[in-house]
Amino acid sequence: MTRSSRSTITPRPDRSARRILTPAVSDVADHLRVRGVRKAFGSTSVLAGVDLAVAQGRSTAIVGPSGSGKTTLLRLIAGFESPDSGTIALGGETVAGGGTWVPAHKRSVGYVAQDGALFPHLTVGQNVAFGLPERGRAAAARVAELLEMVSMDPQYAKRRPHQLSGGQQQRVALARALARRPGLMLLDEPFSALDAGLRVATRRAVAKTLTDAGVTTILVTHDQAEALSFADQVAVMRDGRLAQIGSPFVVYTRPTDRATAEFLGDAVILEAWMEGSLALCSLGGIPVRRPPAQGKVHLMLRPEQIRIAGDGPIRGTVVDTDYFGPETTVRLKLEPIAVDPLHPADPHQPVGGEVITIRHWNAMLARPGTQLCLKVVGEAVAFPWE
Amino acid sequence: MLCVLIALFSLVPLVFVAIMTANAGVDTIVALVFRPRVGELLVNTVALVAITVPLCVLCGVGGAWLVERTRLRGHKIWAVLLAAPLAIPAFVNSYAWVSAVPSLGGVAGGVLISTLSYFPLVYIPVAAVLGRMDPALEQTGQSLGLGPWRVFFRVTFPQLRLAIAGGALLVSLHLLSEYGAFAMIQFDTFTTAIYDQFRSTFNGAAANMLAGVLVVLCLVLLLLEERSRGTARYAKVGSGAQSGPVRLRLGWYQGPAQLGLAALTVLAIGVPMWHVVRWLIFGGVAVWERDPLLTALLQTLGYGLAGALATTLLAFPLAYQVVRHPGRTSRLLEGANYISSSMPGIVVALALVTITVHGLPAIYQTSIVLVAAYALLFMPRALVNLRAGLAQAPKELDEAAQALGKPPLLAFVKVTLRLTAPAAAGGAALVFLGIVNELTATLLLSPNGTNTLATEFWSLSSEIDYAGAAPYALLMILLSAPMTYLLFAQSKKAAGQ
Repeated sequence: MTRSSRSTITPRPDRSARRILTPAVSDVADHLRVRGVRKAFGSTSVLAGVDLAVAQGRSTAIVGPSGSGKTTLLRLIAGFESPDSGTIALGGETVAGGGTWVPAHKRSVGYVAQDGALFPHLTVGQNVAFGLPERGRAAAARVAELLEMVSMDPQYAKRRPHQLSGGQQQRVALARALARRPGLMLLDEPFSALDAGLRVATRRAVAKTLTDAGVTTILVTHDQAEALSFADQVAVMRDGRLAQIGSPFVVYTRPTDRATAEFLGDAVILEAWMEGSLALCSLGGIPVRRPPAQGKVHLMLRPEQIRIAGDGPIRGTVVDTDYFGPETTVRLKLEPIAVDPLHPADPHQPVGGEVITIRHWNAMLARPGTQLCLKVVGEAVAFPWE
Repeated sequence: MLCVLIALFSLVPLVFVAIMTANAGVDTIVALVFRPRVGELLVNTVALVAITVPLCVLCGVGGAWLVERTRLRGHKIWAVLLAAPLAIPAFVNSYAWVSAVPSLGGVAGGVLISTLSYFPLVYIPVAAVLGRMDPALEQTGQSLGLGPWRVFFRVTFPQLRLAIAGGALLVSLHLLSEYGAFAMIQFDTFTTAIYDQFRSTFNGAAANMLAGVLVVLCLVLLLLEERSRGTARYAKVGSGAQSGPVRLRLGWYQGPAQLGLAALTVLAIGVPMWHVVRWLIFGGVAVWERDPLLTALLQTLGYGLAGALATTLLAFPLAYQVVRHPGRTSRLLEGANYISSSMPGIVVALALVTITVHGLPAIYQTSIVLVAAYALLFMPRALVNLRAGLAQAPKELDEAAQALGKPPLLAFVKVTLRLTAPAAAGGAALVFLGIVNELTATLLLSPNGTNTLATEFWSLSSEIDYAGAAPYALLMILLSAPMTYLLFAQSKKAAGQ
């Protein structure tokens, strides 16, 4: 898992409260509705039946590994490709499928490509003004307004795209896409070409601009941290299907399957025995909300749910550590559970001895060979045993 | 669909030769091909290629290495001077050398003139690659214990393989198709023989069969070049910035290097320029006052512009198909164009003459046929440039314009066409250069009363009116010079300098 994923555990008080409380299915009218969309290139199926609804003014991140079909879905919504079957509706009006086809330039959809796709033969100002119906002074005023909207000095209007940094190019591309006041904005990995520091800053600036303008937004990304921090709704894409759609908090803490769990962040997976709503594993009895099965299951915990605590009931020995500065990744071998010789071994009882990875802020506590006491916070997620 | 038609059009000469050969029947073929005269031509042509190509590689690679990789004094001036001979058409070069050494002839004469005219075809691509090559590769060679010579042969030279093979192919194709330069010194090759045959018997089977042998030679060369390319990867592996080239200290070799380059320049530029100027002085004002001069200049400009425009228009759909829809069909179309454009001008002209005489007498000996011949001959020049230009205008930009509310056609015009325009102009300029200096096809196909600078120069120098021919030579050189510089600058730019 990448280091950037760790930023997801930092709470973001400004927006997270709203995002977490927003139900994935809302009663607000859906701006975009994708139904049963399939697309194949030659004999390769890229989208195998996608359903997605995005509410007016909300943001959705489509996240998935490369090759999962997320960019194709975005290009279908933009109108650069047409679906083989299924329908796409914008604001209640079908734009593709069912015998209807509305070309890209009539969809009122903004699009920001991976590298910004600024026209190299035009200045920044001419780029922003490209889609504007206004000319002359009115256009110039609107360009200045748009550049300010993306936090850029209007002086930049005279520059050429190649004189801008990568982050500035992306912001100009956003201003250009905003110029026609689109109802829906599509962002195709617009931050992936930027370096780490710039990426976070540009992402925040873009998110704020779009939220303030009340534009419905779809972001496509392969970076799960970006998806979780950017959007009100996260759709996880795998092999041409949406594996799970929900608020960032829900998809991160309650993934529907193991692959989604591991894609969205580091996960501790343990063998467990499910009885009622309690899972018995090497870390003790852990509550599970809505267990999918009883008996033998895989149990998933996020590393940050396992804390080092002096009074913790579980013991483990540090195997090794990776120091990252603000935090340390600690690999622990859990203590084998001693079997009571007077009672026969219970097949439901865990045996312990697994190696798990957790995170801790204090590197000094976790030297190899040290024995630590652990406790588990919150609920776990169980997946049926395959 | 349009692309397929264009590709089919470009295959016309090849198909013509194939059909002519098939129609002739085995006996005629044997009688016409297996005779002493053909053997003699074959020996001449093969000897010419076998000697000239290595000499061009030697001069081209040596010059490029000195200019790009050593602390040669004045290397910036040498860089331009070594490309400059390209501005002097080979038949003008031949005319100057015959003036200097009237006894010049045979294989030796052919080799001398063609080496001096064509070594820049190797020099330009090799210099571009040398200038772009990551010095870290050579430094790694050094750190692995190789001396400068072994670094050159084991690290640098293999990297140049593609450029050298490409340049050598161009030189050989020029050698096979050149008419004027060799006719001037009465050195017989296939092309000169076909021309003479055509002049004496018009459209006879003998000329067609000679053309067939010439086509086979061309195809063999294409195959050889394809083989020598290999399949290895030569692009830099991995990313990251690279530093500028490191120049080798010449020390005691500075003097000999300067002398060698000076000698090459004097032979390739000095001699022809001096003789053109000498004939101009000898002819005085009178040679400038002749009527055909202005007519020839205007007609050359007219054909050059029309041909450049037609060729660019034909090449655009092909380039678009190749860049935007890469795949097997595209490769096939491009390959067809590549092979057919390696056909010598004489074969193209012969094909068009026969086809128009028999099939389209209405356009026989009209300017349409001549422009078509120019398009067939020079399409790759436009194609290469348009491809590079279209690569600068990715599909994403077109889509961005559509997402901004422009209908597809307007988006295409405002973005793709606009961004491709400079490259199209560059390609058109190179086509223009080719047409200005084209002699063989123009001689065979030009309508009655049409005279370009090249054909007028040719008829005057054939009548041994060397003084009268001099103004035409000067005009051709002056027209070619800026285009040659453009070509040189473009090769540097393509290499990212």
